[in-house]
Amino acid sequence: MKKKSVMIIAFFFAGALIFSLTTGFKSLQDNKPWPVPDNYKNMKNPVASNATSIAEGKTLYSTHCKSCHGAKGLGDGNKAAQLKTEAGDFSKSDFQSQTDGALFYKTSEGRDDMPNFKKKIPDAEERWSLVNFLRTFKK
Amino acid sequence: MKLLINKANPGLIAPVFLIGCLLLLNGILRAQDSTMVEQPEAPAKVKPVKNTFQSVWISDNQTVMVPVKGTMEMDIMHRFGTWNNGYEDFWGFFAPSNIRIGMSYVPINKLNVGIGFTKTTAAVIPQGTTSSVSGPLWDLGLKYSLITQTKGKYPVSVSYYFNGSYNTMKDPDHDVYRYNSDRLAFFNQILIARKITDKLSVQVAPSLSHHNVVNGYYTKLNDSTLEINPSMEFNHFALALSARYKLTDVTSLTINYDQPLTRHATSNPNPSLSFGIEFNTSSHSFQLFFTNFYFLNAAINNMYNTNNPFEYTDHSTNDPATPADESTKVKGGRFLIGFNITRLWNY
Repeated sequence: MKKKSVMIIAFFFAGALIFSLTTGFKSLQDNKPWPVPDNYKNMKNPVASNATSIAEGKTLYSTHCKSCHGAKGLGDGNKAAQLKTEAGDFSKSDFQSQTDGALFYKTSEGRDDMPNFKKKIPDAEERWSLVNFLRTFKK
Repeated sequence: MKLLINKANPGLIAPVFLIGCLLLLNGILRAQDSTMVEQPEAPAKVKPVKNTFQSVWISDNQTVMVPVKGTMEMDIMHRFGTWNNGYEDFWGFFAPSNIRIGMSYVPINKLNVGIGFTKTTAAVIPQGTTSSVSGPLWDLGLKYSLITQTKGKYPVSVSYYFNGSYNTMKDPDHDVYRYNSDRLAFFNQILIARKITDKLSVQVAPSLSHHNVVNGYYTKLNDSTLEINPSMEFNHFALALSARYKLTDVTSLTINYDQPLTRHATSNPNPSLSFGIEFNTSSHSFQLFFTNFYFLNAAINNMYNTNNPFEYTDHSTNDPATPADESTKVKGGRFLIGFNITRLWNY
């Protein structure tokens, strides 16, 4: 009888483990495309990428982005594990190949787990500075 | 015996005059600004300085900061007991603590309005009255950013802060408060701050606290005549000095010093020193510090602080309870642990 209970518990945990792994795998696969409107895609960054702008972007990143996207933009922040979607790796070419306008659009509007930052960072120039800082993650 | 002395005029003249002066000053400065803009060769757009402070609070004081329009904030503030009993009450953690919960909102640019309630209302009641928690102290706050530091235009940021509080402590027989207006206290403060470097910001904030009622004492002049005098002034001026030094983008050291300026007949309040650390995230600000202020209400803290940061000898001779030739040694180091947590939502 005792052996049977142990077996049931073991099966239950094994099932739970497989379920969590597959759903976790599924969510990581769930990297659906994020279309960017053409007007944003072709938008020119009005803020020159200089030390001041990058420093401003770094401060904003540390406050608003780092907890999910990680200190080096690798998507390994301490809250990343709780997200339903992947936080992304900003050092990779598929991220860095996007235009400044596309990054500005995604930062401003957000989607799913990614918040909309238009209200929290209402100054568009600050969001452009954030884009300038994201470029420093390029490897 | 202590008596309560109330003043017929509610003392709103001073704050109204103060607001009038500030609005006038603001108008003049804006007028000067508009003439500058009309010049044909205007320099490149210079933006106002941001994040002089990262929270509306710096320990027990307000900062010059008004969050962006549409920000809703919840404040959870806690002050424990003084640490002087050591392990007995675990350095104040198990002593009776004070709590304030507040909500504020920024409905239009530069204006923050808020409401809050505070547990302990003991400060303004006469000695010998028992309960200190029979009703919370409600407060209404308002902060308006008059000037924001801008390179070449304004060297400092200036905000005006007002807080009005109403003590709802039970008093069915009017033993403590003869009139309901006696329950009111007002606090007015001008916050002047400068972000000196990206890491260092400083603030100077003169304030005026007004209490509609103060304790009193009587002197027997002869068998049939008593002279009643207020033990304290109704208005109390004070000066707060604050600074923040950023260790990283999200972690800062904070320090405050609050100096009472008004000299009262008796019961002069003590200054307060606070120092601590601040952590900021996208939606929160956490401040953990040592302070001498316990009451979580600026008007009461400034006028009734009995905790002393430094030891000193009181030579005051105008206290009727103390003989002229006697001086008393006042113990210092009465600090307590406090924390402020703010949660922000943007709508």
